[in-house]
Amino acid sequence: MPSKSLVSLALAAGLSFTLLSASAHHSVSGQFDRDRPVSVTGVITQVEWINPHTYIHLESRDQNGAVTMWQFESAPTAMLRKVGLTKEMLMGGGATVTIDAILARDGTENFGWLLKIQYPDGHFYQLSGDR
Amino acid sequence: MKTTWEIAALGLAAALPVVALAQSGSDEVPRLDGHPDLSGTWDNGSGIDFVRADTQGESICIGRCPGSAPAAPPAAPANAGAPAARPPGPDRPRYRAEFQARVAELDANQVQEDPVLRCNPPGVPRMGPPDKIVQRAEQVIFLYDDVSGNFFRIIPTDGRGHRDDVEPGNLGDAVGHWEGDTLVVETVNFNAETWLTDDGSFHTDKLRVVERLSRDADTLTWQATAYDPDVLTEPWQMRPRTARLTDVDIVEAAPCIERSIGHMVDKSSHDNPR
Repeated sequence: MPSKSLVSLALAAGLSFTLLSASAHHSVSGQFDRDRPVSVTGVITQVEWINPHTYIHLESRDQNGAVTMWQFESAPTAMLRKVGLTKEMLMGGGATVTIDAILARDGTENFGWLLKIQYPDGHFYQLSGDR
Repeated sequence: MKTTWEIAALGLAAALPVVALAQSGSDEVPRLDGHPDLSGTWDNGSGIDFVRADTQGESICIGRCPGSAPAAPPAAPANAGAPAARPPGPDRPRYRAEFQARVAELDANQVQEDPVLRCNPPGVPRMGPPDKIVQRAEQVIFLYDDVSGNFFRIIPTDGRGHRDDVEPGNLGDAVGHWEGDTLVVETVNFNAETWLTDDGSFHTDKLRVVERLSRDADTLTWQATAYDPDVLTEPWQMRPRTARLTDVDIVEAAPCIERSIGHMVDKSSHDNPR
């Protein structure tokens, strides 16, 4: 039977029931707001290869050079391994990347659920969500 | 000096094992000491069997990439890691009337109560089939590569009884025996710290779990039944799960460090199919 959390996710967020939403280890809707998408450009400075969720840190600079550190939560390591992703691949070799995410519902600043990382050569890793 | 015939005979003798191996075919189940050899690494999905990778050039997507056709069906066997034919009985453990309210309360507060969400061991049978089996004549070793960590179980099959010198634990104390070509593992001596499922199905330290494992070519079938008569109205017979032999070995589990739950703003249940 489908997990009740997946059902609640679909109902609460009005999302279609897809493998993408099912891939989340936890109920995304209880922690992140799909109505608050964000797109941030910067350099990935750290990938925390831990369970039950990985964390990707991004250093973003505005036009004046002011730095903002972002943190994005993502899938467990086993899930990333299963699709062939490694920590090094995610890091992107220090390139400037753009991360699409949805923001935390509890108001934590600069914190989101990672949907997609876009690298400058055109390739991307979509780790969650169907936006 | 050997004659031509002697040399030919030696060559034939040397080739015979190869011929015998070739004739055995891939459908043959290897045997060890008269029993099926369950040794191997078994891909049971670890609860994430639904995860399929999609690619577009060097891009990788969990699920379907934008614009891609629907994801291809999983590789054979189609039911690897998924529930197989459902045996008679309920989908979830059935509790005696006086315990149903407690199960409902635990379920409603799963985010706070489920031990797995805080990186604690899922225990048996929630952990599911072993990810790797090392079989010897006198014991079978189960290895697990779980989100909560790596776990092992050493299961004697030489007829000895349960140990009486170990403290109750998340994984209990197991002994095994063969019933025909099926390995039967009985585990007792559990603590009461784990759940049977992800929706509040607690158990007592009287829990007894019987697992049955069999092998057909490159498919392992695992089925577990939980007995806890102090709280359950009947034994809970889990649906069988299958796992596929793989040459991708298990690895050291990444550290499990929980940081999410503090950010939850409601009681939305977490998805923990295992």
